Formats: sequence, C-alpha cells, structure tokens
Amino acid sequence: MKRVSFLVVMLAQLLLSVASAPICAYGQTGCPLPTLADLFDRVMQQSSRMHGISSDLQSQFEHYLFPSKNMLGKWKCHTHDILTPGNKQNAQNIDREQLTEVILRLLGAWGDPLSQLHQSMRQDHNKNHGRDFSHSSSNKALEMSDVMQELRDGVLKMAEKMKLQGAFSNAVAVVQPEEARHSSAFAFYKRGTLSLLDHNDLLYCLRRDSDKVKNYLRILQCSTLPGLEC
Amino acid sequence: MVFSVVISITNTYLSMSVDVFCPSSTPVCGAAMTNALELTWLLFLVITPHAKGHSLPGKPTLTSCRSPEKETFTCWWQPGSDGGLPTTYALYYSKESSDIVHECADYYTAGENSCFFNKNDTSIWVNYNITVVATNRLGSTFSDPVDVDVAYIVQPNPPENLSLSIMDDKGWPFLRVAWAPPRKADTRSGWITLIYELRIQVDGQNEWETHLAGQQKLFNIFSLRSGGLYLVQVRCKPDHGFWSEWSTASYIRFPDYFHREKSAWIIIAVVCAFLFLSITLLLHMTCHSLKHCLLPPIPGPKIKGFDQHLLKKGKSEDIFSALVVSDFSRMSSSSNSEDPLVEEYLEVYVTEEREAMLEESKSHSGDDSFKLESSASDNDSGRGSCDSRTLLMEKCGRPKQHDGDRGEDWGEAQVDAVGGTWPPVFTSQSEQPRRCLSGCLPPSEASKYIKSRSDVNIAASGHKQSPARWSVEYVGTRMVAEDDVAVSRGCSQPAPFQERDYSRVKRVGSDDTLLLLQRVSEVATNECETRTSQKSTICTQDATLTSGYVDTAAILPMATN
Repeated sequence: MKRVSFLVVMLAQLLLSVASAPICAYGQTGCPLPTLADLFDRVMQQSSRMHGISSDLQSQFEHYLFPSKNMLGKWKCHTHDILTPGNKQNAQNIDREQLTEVILRLLGAWGDPLSQLHQSMRQDHNKNHGRDFSHSSSNKALEMSDVMQELRDGVLKMAEKMKLQGAFSNAVAVVQPEEARHSSAFAFYKRGTLSLLDHNDLLYCLRRDSDKVKNYLRILQCSTLPGLEC
Repeated sequence: MVFSVVISITNTYLSMSVDVFCPSSTPVCGAAMTNALELTWLLFLVITPHAKGHSLPGKPTLTSCRSPEKETFTCWWQPGSDGGLPTTYALYYSKESSDIVHECADYYTAGENSCFFNKNDTSIWVNYNITVVATNRLGSTFSDPVDVDVAYIVQPNPPENLSLSIMDDKGWPFLRVAWAPPRKADTRSGWITLIYELRIQVDGQNEWETHLAGQQKLFNIFSLRSGGLYLVQVRCKPDHGFWSEWSTASYIRFPDYFHREKSAWIIIAVVCAFLFLSITLLLHMTCHSLKHCLLPPIPGPKIKGFDQHLLKKGKSEDIFSALVVSDFSRMSSSSNSEDPLVEEYLEVYVTEEREAMLEESKSHSGDDSFKLESSASDNDSGRGSCDSRTLLMEKCGRPKQHDGDRGEDWGEAQVDAVGGTWPPVFTSQSEQPRRCLSGCLPPSEASKYIKSRSDVNIAASGHKQSPARWSVEYVGTRMVAEDDVAVSRGCSQPAPFQERDYSRVKRVGSDDTLLLLQRVSEVATNECETRTSQKSTICTQDATLTSGYVDTAAILPMATN
C-alpha cells in the first residue's frame, strides 16, 4: 500500500513538473528564444567547424596525392553558376537579403554531393582495406554533411528572425534554394571512372564554398549587429 | 664575325706551326701537332663564349604572393640567370576557367621583380594561374606556373597603436595591453577577421612569454614582477592566412608595489605589539601576580590579634590578651572591608539548664541574670568543636555534667591550626580565678558558651560542620555567672537534648562588654533579655535580620582581672 501511494505521489510530481516547465519544442510559445546575436554566434561557430572539416579533408587528400597537382585547372565547381560577390566592393553593395539568399543557396547545393561523397568514400574504403585515410575521410564526410545541414537550418532561423526584426530592407521572402538543379552535382565531378582525383576536386570546391559561406555570414553579422565583435 | 676571324687566324697558325715544328713533314708529327692545336683551339672556344653571355635567360621563379587586406595582392619572383643579354621580365596570369591571359599592370608599386594587382584586378575565391617570363634577345624562359587563390594568401600588416598601461585591481597592479588592427585591414565590416597574439619579456632576457588574445584587442597580464622593465610586441593573423610581423616593441616599467605590502605588515606588527603590551599591563595592574590571579591561594587561618610567637612562648595570658583585644569592635567592624576572608564574631549559646534559668529570670523580670533566648540549636555549633583545629580547644571526652564540675580537667587543647600547633591554652583547674577564655572551670550548672568563631583556612579539613568556604572554629567559653568569668570550655559535646542558643558578638564595648546579636528563632518570642550578672541587657529587635540575628544590646562583660 505504501509503495503504491509513493509511486502515485512520484508520478503526480513528475506530471506537475512537466506541466510547469514545458519542454521547448521548436516554435512553442513560452520558451525563451535565443536572440539574434546568439543565433549569429552559433551559426559562426558552425561555419567555422564546417570549414575546418573541409580543410582537413582536403589536406588529407593533398598529403596523399602528389603535392604539385594543379588545382582544378580548367574545371569548375558545380556551384559556379551561383553568383557570389567576389570582392569586398561587391559584397558590401549587395543587400542583406540577397546575401542571405546566396548563403542558403550555397549550403543547399552541397547537401546531395556530400552524401554521395560519403558513400563513395565508404566504397573506396571497402575496396582498399589498408587505407586508413579513407576511413577517417569517410567519417569526416558524413560529419561534414551533418554540420552543413545544421548550419543551413540555423541560417534559415536566423533569416526569419532578421525578417521579424526588420533587418531586411525589402520584405522579400527568403528564397529556398532549388535542390533539383544540383541533383547531379556529384556527377559533375565525375570524369569517367571514379577515382581519388574526383574527390580532390570536389573537396577543393567544398573548402572554398565553406570559406565563402563563413565570410558572408561574418559580413552579415557585422552589418546587422555592429559592435565590439567586429 | 669575330669568331670567324679567329678561326681563320687559328687555321693559319696551325698550318704554319706544323711546318715549323715538323720540318721533315712526317705525317705522324704533322698529325699529332694538328691534334694538339685543335685541342687547344677547342678549349679556347669553349671557355670564351661564357664570358660573352649569349644565351637564353635563366628560369625565373615566383617566390611568393601576398595580400595584406584581401583586396589587393602582390607577387614577387626571383630572376634566373641572366643570359648575358639584357633580360626583361613579364608576368602573365589567367583566371580560373578563363582562357584570357592578362599581363600584370603594375610592376613598380611593389618594387623590383614584383607585380601589384590592384582592387579592380583582384578577385577573391578565384584561382589565378600566374607565370613569369624572362625574355632576352635570344629567347624567353617561362617559370613554373603557380596557382594562387587570394583568400588563402592573406598576411596582414602588424597591429598598430600598441599601448601599455598599469591598472589597479584592489591594490594589486596589473598590465593592460591594448592595440588597434592594422589600418588597411577592414575588420569593421567583417570582410576580414583577425586573431591576435602578444608576447612579453623582461628587458635583457631572451625568454618570451606569449599569449593568444583571440579576436579581442585588449589583454591583461597579471603575472609580472614589480620593478621590472618589460617590452611587449603584438602580431595578428586572419582566420586562414599567415601571421604578420611583430609590431614595434613598447616598453613599460612595472611599479614597485612591494612597499605597500611591507607597510601593511609593519602596521599589523605594530598593532599586535600594542595589543600585547596593553594586555600585559592590564593583567599586571589587576593582579599583582599572575599566579595569584590565576590560582588564588587558599585562605589561611586568620584570627586577628593572634600572635604565633606568643603562643610559642607559652604565656597564655598574653595570648589571650592579644586575642581579646580591646579594639575588637574596630577590627570586627572593619574586618569585612579589609579582609573578606576573615570574619570574627563570637557565638554565644546557652544550654537548657541555663535556658530554664533564663526563663525563670525572665518571669521575674528584674533579674540581672543573663538571659538568652533559646533558639534552635545550630547543628554546626559545638559539635565539631572536638574535632576542629581551633584555638582553645579541648579534646573531647568530657562529660556534660557541669554541676560540681569544678575539678574538671580541661585537658589539652587541640590546636591545630595551619602552620603549627598551638600550645594548650587550657590550664588546670587550679588556675581558675584568672581571666580566661579557656581553661576555666565551669562553676555553675548552666554553662554558657561563648564561642569565638573565626573563619579559618583549614588546609585539609575533616571539619564536618563548616560551610563550603569557611570552617568554623569554636572557642568553647563558659560563662560563670557568679564569677563573672567567661570561661572557655574545650570539648563541647552537647547532649542531644540540649538546645543551644547562639549569639553572635557584634562588637566589644569599650569596657570589655560584648554586644551580641541574638538569633531569632522561629518559635521563640521576639523579646529577649540577656543580662549579665553585672549589667542589664536590653534586647531590641532589629528589623534587619540579615543573618537571622537580632541586634541586641546584650553586653557581656569581659572578665578582667
């Protein structure tokens, strides 16, 4: 009898506690939402992380391959058609909304290729059992894919908040990047048989794009929230 | 042209020398000679053209390309060997995925063997394929191409406006280093993000202490020694790029804060010493000896007027006279104030027979007989007189029948005071007529005991009846009414039925009279009459019953000779 009553009491307490402090799901009211500054900080951290991973991936490949290989040469990155500001002048002239859109497009363009890269690396690893770098690279590719996805979600939230706070001069809805255009992005890098060289080009492009994203986010942050940080 | 002239001359010389050296025109000699000459000529040919420099230029090499602010960049090259001819250098570049080749527009801004790309020509996140060409009259030589992405070749200028200042943190100084980003780098708009690093060393020593400051432009250093001369340098780096050069050093001398520390200790020491001195002084003033304060001595026996030496001499007369001193009143009244350990009073108690007598005399009311109120006997009084170490004490064993007890032998008195034994003060019965507080025979039936009571210090007290602090010593005194002699009785073993009345002597009158404080008993009446044989006493009731005694005007005459 005592045990039952005790249990009842515990359950009641649990329910009450749950009722009093609701678990914050996304978008629920009553939860303390992060400020724009917090969002920016998180996004910046995430983009740094992303860039770090991409640099690691590329350096691993470089180390493995002969170092004097020319980068890309005549090739292009699959995201070449996304118009990105190439110098400071252009970057400062562009609107905040446009810049945000560019960021989102860049991030969106890499979703599929990264997952395919990861699969490809895993296949490579399965083929070449002794290759240590391939295994770690495959993991890193997976991690990269996750990080990029998270970053994209974060930037979306941040954009919404910016819109709410009136940071955007034009009340234009943030365009969702088109996914369909880059479905065959991975194939873009394929030239015949799949080889490590293909990965190298892809990784080079990945590193560059992650650097672009990081820089654009920084410009956006300093433009929206000028302060001690900038 | 010169070359051909030389050849023709040499040929001529050769043929002439062959003719000279080989006169017989032997074919062997001629052939050998020709060979030697040709060899010499060949050698000559080989050596001389180098001094002249007719060749293609050597291959130049691109040493580095750097951008100070990610808006412009410069490339430097190292020229190869000069082909002996004036050589010109040109830099060509092409952008990523474009076949158009451009030539460097500015060879002079950045110095010799350099190419400066201005803002218009610079694109970030674009691969530049750069080649340097060395050209002379004979031809050109291309360098190895280099791919450059401006985003990754940023090396900023050193930070500027390095300032050092000593700040105060609750009395402890620390060094604050502050700087500004290099002028050209645009960190405000977020185009470039810099992280900083500073280093500090004691002037003269070679050990640097480096601190990474992150993105902040301010840094506090706490771990510095007072009085030292320090120099500080700072440098910066973009998040992906190269470290700048160290800025020019700034010097600062750290202040001496040891003095403040020292003075604080001095103050503390002075205060402690002062406190210590004051405490010792205080102790000294209140107690003349610390030992006396901390361990108060047990009070010894003090009976005023008692002279040990007299006792030793054995003259009881003198002893008694010394004891029962005329200024007893003075002493008793002032005794409390003088010495709280000594209290002197005489207790008088009367036996039952005597009480009966008193009652009778009371009814007569006119008697001069000494009367005392009977009161409840004090359990203490008289009982222990056998065992107490008192002056004028008789050993117990005496029967209580006083009637006709003249021949009583008082025996030796037990005197056992602190520090010595007292000689017997009781003498034989034969010495009765003299004044005595002790040793006198009780002629009458009723006996009255005057007890002198004094507080004594008994070191090892087996005394039963004494109160906590004091022990009571009794002088058994027997009052002989007719003789007017106060006798002392040693062993007072009162019969259990006997009741004793005690009177406290308040003071001794000028003509040897005792002023008694009579105790008021619960059942007894208030009136009291005490009379001596000589004088009448008046018993008055005192409102102040401080100790249960009624102040009486009873005066007992002291037996005098």
